Amino acid sequence: MKEISNKVKEIANRLLAEGQVDVFLAWEKGDQDYLTRPLAARSVEEAERIVCDEYSIHNLSNYLLKFRDGQEKIGLVVKGCDSRGIIRLLEDKQFTRDRLYIVGVCCPGMNDPLKAIKRNSGLLPWADPEDKADKCSSCAYPNPVIYDELLGSEQQPNVSGERQAKIEEIENLSPDQRYEYFRCEFERCIRCYACRQACVACNCRVCIFDEMRPQWVGRENNETDNMMYHLVRAYHMAGRCVECGECQRVCPVDIPLMLINSKLAKDANEFFGPYEAGIKYQEDSKPALSVYSLDDPDEGFM
Amino acid sequence: MKILSKDKLESVLDKLAESAQVFVPLSRANSSGFYSWENRNPEKEQLMLDTLNVYMSPKNIGFPQTEKMYSIIQSGAEAQIKETFEDSNPRIIFGIRACDARAIRCLDDVFLTRGYTDSFYQARRENMVIIANACYSPGPNCFCAAMGVNPTEPEADIIIRDTGDSGYIWEAQTAKGEELTAGISSLLEEKELKAPEMKPFPTQVDYSGVAEKLKGMFEHPLWEEMAQTCQNCGICTYVCPSCHCFDIQVKSWGDEGYRYRCWDSCMYTEYTAEAGGGNPRPTTKERFRNRFLHKLEFFTERYGYPLCTGCGRCIAACPTGINIVKIIDQVKEASVDD
Repeated sequence: MKEISNKVKEIANRLLAEGQVDVFLAWEKGDQDYLTRPLAARSVEEAERIVCDEYSIHNLSNYLLKFRDGQEKIGLVVKGCDSRGIIRLLEDKQFTRDRLYIVGVCCPGMNDPLKAIKRNSGLLPWADPEDKADKCSSCAYPNPVIYDELLGSEQQPNVSGERQAKIEEIENLSPDQRYEYFRCEFERCIRCYACRQACVACNCRVCIFDEMRPQWVGRENNETDNMMYHLVRAYHMAGRCVECGECQRVCPVDIPLMLINSKLAKDANEFFGPYEAGIKYQEDSKPALSVYSLDDPDEGFM
Repeated sequence: MKILSKDKLESVLDKLAESAQVFVPLSRANSSGFYSWENRNPEKEQLMLDTLNVYMSPKNIGFPQTEKMYSIIQSGAEAQIKETFEDSNPRIIFGIRACDARAIRCLDDVFLTRGYTDSFYQARRENMVIIANACYSPGPNCFCAAMGVNPTEPEADIIIRDTGDSGYIWEAQTAKGEELTAGISSLLEEKELKAPEMKPFPTQVDYSGVAEKLKGMFEHPLWEEMAQTCQNCGICTYVCPSCHCFDIQVKSWGDEGYRYRCWDSCMYTEYTAEAGGGNPRPTTKERFRNRFLHKLEFFTERYGYPLCTGCGRCIAACPTGINIVKIIDQVKEASVDD
């Protein structure tokens, strides 16, 4: 990764010096080995702080939303999963391709700084001695699917099947058991909306959960409103989630959100596919559930 | 001195639970927080008195995340309050640290002083006894002393001091504490034990002069820079023991309904959304700035001490590594035009 890190810095320096980009999104190092955090470099001086190491886990495509209203050109580093986020934004017409300079990094799997921070915090009863990110234990797209420049050698996908097995386990429960399973998971939710904020597919200008008139979802932290929050969010993810896993990684109370998202991806593929979200960008391509067709085989839909 | 021997700890908690709801630091699922002693699952949940602190602060005990205030019944053009839900059931918080005890003092000042008494908070607070666990080994993200908190002298009704294997020194500090102590005196022993030595803080930060300096920094470019990587979620505000913003909302069906209040977060867009569609804090920068100014400047101006108690939870919880200690450092270092 050291070599890649240097190359990223070189590219950022070049793009900023030549004025090809106004901002370059990458990472910088904090004062611990495991503390890698996002950085938006606007000058060659700031670009000196850039790193790209084994803790560079954050999906920077999400940060593009901060820039969507301007004309600024943005350079950014993406791993395989993050690059699918860029396709999400392009398909959703949140960005045009010409505003982006994409540096793709073939990803060998990342460590999660949050795991290390939490392990060392003294606040939690468990301590996973491994920093290897949970979301990287199964990865279908380690190599960027869209880029201007590609760094690193191609990685082999590594799909563990563990999550699929868990999905099947839940599919086989009775509806009551299933409800109980998710009720227990959602009970812990503190409604911090970190899952939404970390999500590149959550790019609505006004989120339904912030709407006041009408207020679609109550703000109470209870079974009903928590369930409503997660169900509505799930509906909005169907066929759109690019499975970067950031929602679950940032969740402060460990709700298995990717279980829901993967089930939705599986259903989107089975019912409307073959389809996988954000794996190939074509002009005017749309997510499976955003296609409106008079020939839709589902009568109820018309 | 009075000593609570460790083998009597559970008996004391059981005894206390006979007349009050007792909240203790417990592990729960992959997390930890203050939960009811009597309703715990002893097979899955461990008492966490020996760890530094717990992930979720005890703030919800006096100030629940969601709280029903009153129910309403409507007939014609008239609406009547059917029931008010002030909850004055006795509560005991056992084993909180000095940072969290200070945070309760912050909430007390906000909800009970300066001309308005919040009756819902007051009802909960009046019948609450705080038993704090003095802290001698600060963690990697701890900086309470820098924020004016003395970790070994928490602001509480009773202080317990862990002397190691044998037991806790038990010191009643207030009349409430004396009364509670009298009720369990048969479970305490008279013995002399020595409190541990205070260990140094791994994290150093200098808050002196920061509130003053911030007065002239509202328009400083530092906010833009520091807020750049904030994802604008509400984790920091919800794990924080002293953040206390709330919203009051209503739910109604037909002629009936209720008003409730729930935690709100200054990190949310909706927080400052105006009825006419405007928003004075339209981007992350303004929201981020407000949070840190409230913590480090506004509260200090109003109450004489900062709203950050140095517990370090937000540092451990922020998905993008935003660190309030570094923010204080950057404010200290920033150059300000006079």
